[in-house]
Amino acid sequence: MWKNLCEKMFGRSLWVYHANSGGCNGCDIEVLNVLTPYYDVERFGIKLVGSPRHADVMLCQGPAMRSTGQALKRAYEAMPAPKLVFAIGSCACGGGVWFDSYSVLGPVEKVVPVNYYIPGCPPRPEAIIYGVAVALGLVDKKVAPVEFKQVEFPIPIYHPGDLRRENGMVVYEKVERV
Amino acid sequence: MIAREMFEEFKARFGPLIDRADLPNDRRLFVYVDRTVVQYVCQHIFRELDARYVASIGTDDRPFSGKFLVAHNFAFDKDHVLCSVLTQLPEDDLKIDSITRMVPAASWAEREMRDLLGIQPVGHEYLKRLVLPDGWPEGSHPLRKDVPWNEVPADYDENREFEFGATPEGCTVVPFGPFHPTLDEPAHFRLYVEGERVRGCEYRGFMVHRGIEKLAESVMSYNDIPLLAERICGICGCVHSVAYVQAVEEAAALKVPPRAEYIRTIMLELERLHSHLLWVGLACHIVGFDTLFMQSFRIREPIMWIAEKISGNRKTYAICLVGGVRRDITHELKAELRVVLDKLEREWRPVVEAVSGDRNIQKRTCGVGVADKVAVKSSGLVGPVARAAGVEIDCRRDHPYAAYDRVEFDVITAESADVWGRVVVRMKEVFESIRIIRQCLDKMEDGPLGLEIKDELPVGRMGLSSVEAPRGESHHFVITGENNRPRRWRVRAPTYQNLQGVAAMIKDQQIADMTISLGSIDPCFSCTDRMETIDVRSGARKVWSQKELLELTWAKMDRETK
Repeated sequence: MWKNLCEKMFGRSLWVYHANSGGCNGCDIEVLNVLTPYYDVERFGIKLVGSPRHADVMLCQGPAMRSTGQALKRAYEAMPAPKLVFAIGSCACGGGVWFDSYSVLGPVEKVVPVNYYIPGCPPRPEAIIYGVAVALGLVDKKVAPVEFKQVEFPIPIYHPGDLRRENGMVVYEKVERV
Repeated sequence: MIAREMFEEFKARFGPLIDRADLPNDRRLFVYVDRTVVQYVCQHIFRELDARYVASIGTDDRPFSGKFLVAHNFAFDKDHVLCSVLTQLPEDDLKIDSITRMVPAASWAEREMRDLLGIQPVGHEYLKRLVLPDGWPEGSHPLRKDVPWNEVPADYDENREFEFGATPEGCTVVPFGPFHPTLDEPAHFRLYVEGERVRGCEYRGFMVHRGIEKLAESVMSYNDIPLLAERICGICGCVHSVAYVQAVEEAAALKVPPRAEYIRTIMLELERLHSHLLWVGLACHIVGFDTLFMQSFRIREPIMWIAEKISGNRKTYAICLVGGVRRDITHELKAELRVVLDKLEREWRPVVEAVSGDRNIQKRTCGVGVADKVAVKSSGLVGPVARAAGVEIDCRRDHPYAAYDRVEFDVITAESADVWGRVVVRMKEVFESIRIIRQCLDKMEDGPLGLEIKDELPVGRMGLSSVEAPRGESHHFVITGENNRPRRWRVRAPTYQNLQGVAAMIKDQQIADMTISLGSIDPCFSCTDRMETIDVRSGARKVWSQKELLELTWAKMDRETK
């Protein structure tokens, strides 16, 4: 659905806004790098803009911090709909090494809804371009989604209190499946 | 003068004021004094002995000695000695005389101590919150040993906002940041502007405070921390990991094999190359010269590729361990690196010529953001900012580490003390870095890549390490500890000092020059904060967006070139 919506709404020209909410700079520079001659995303119509009010896409780098969470939220709200959010780098995707530190809120999805995740520390410029191109529908996703499902195990929880003696045998009364 | 002679001098001057002194080697001096005389001793060291202020460190040492520890570090650059003045504070009376009046550069370090440990600097004139988020309750100090790394106080108030000081008479407020197109990183400046002149500013930073030091002291181990240290900053990560391992090695008196030292030197210089090229590009972008921005990124890219070939990653090389390095530079890589350096040198010359001969850039940078020798001394400015003011300091030469004592290079300085001087210094340093790497490749001897460390590292020893990052001196302080991790690890990044000088640089300047003045220190907030707006539009105040500010900058350039 996202693919169709993106194709329809964004066509071939995406204006991106990059917001570093507390990262180490590594991902920012790779984002800058994709705009420069070797990777040159402007050939796909992707352009970096200085204000969220002009942007279609927000690129989030770094974990959400306690002190920038509110500002990040305001930046997201300032963007005109429809809008996409990319979490770039391990910190933005999952919080990174400091996911539970005292001044870190966690991944950016705790503050703004994230549509696409581009992991890596930092992700290579190729990975960033690929992620954006997948979102735009320029290339197909090359990784098949794998879904894990909790299957029912036939192992009863053992409640020692529910054991009783009956005719010289031990009978277990309550069977609860996990 | 070596540390022992210096200590004799101290003894002659202070006599009984010194409780104890440690001299682990010829280049380090630890002096313990009583807390009543800290101010006096620091003033003497800073003013009369003309030392350079480096950092102040607070430590919760209660589990071990029952006391808190405060260290003021100074560097004697000409004598190649790093000196630490230590004081113990009893648990029930956490007050220490502030040294900020004599050493203005210590202002932030003392405020940080107050935030994170609750040590009160008595006599500090501006005790506002610096590091912790705004909603953090008073009286809760995360760096104390009895507070877990993930504890958030129950009365944390996420909606509380920072209280700025009153706006000066006749001034308009211009918020700058936290999200800014030229900065990359979050930091908030509140500029007080009269017409087009900046009359003052208030800074609210430390938005990237990730609690790295606390994590290192409570959950990581010695050899995890180099990897954590690299993630302090994405640009100068290798600097931090080298500085950390050197501090630990010094504390534990480990001697690293020479080949490992050469490999560290090469990686540090590769990092300086890509950082300087990046900075020149960004500076050109800020003043509106986008062609050069693109060109310098084009020239820079092969360095990223060769770094990836050597270390496996474009940044965050993960090459350092306590006692050595993890990866070798083979003959094939050496040959490739030489080709890359030749190409870089060939391509960088025309860029230097283009920038040097460009009147637009000169007009936008000459006389802008001036920080003279006095400011360098009082605010403790380091790196290209100090060197552009004619202050010849460079840790690679003054406090040699890794293989820098075996290679030849010049310390580049300029006299103009303005943004132009910093551009010139950085552009020329690229050639020096190339020269250093070539010498390392020639001189590198065969041998092991690291030490085998069989025993546990000794406990309670201190190590200091200064490494010249692309932006200036990066200083690490380590106290070794139990459970295979340090008791205390303090990082003082170069931007920590340089940012304190920005307020003076932009005062009475045009607002359009603000971006390049700030950009000229190559600010790296993630380093500084370790642990910095959308524009808030309120009806009454006129607010410039970053884009408008950038356009204003460009418009000014157009005016001046006509």
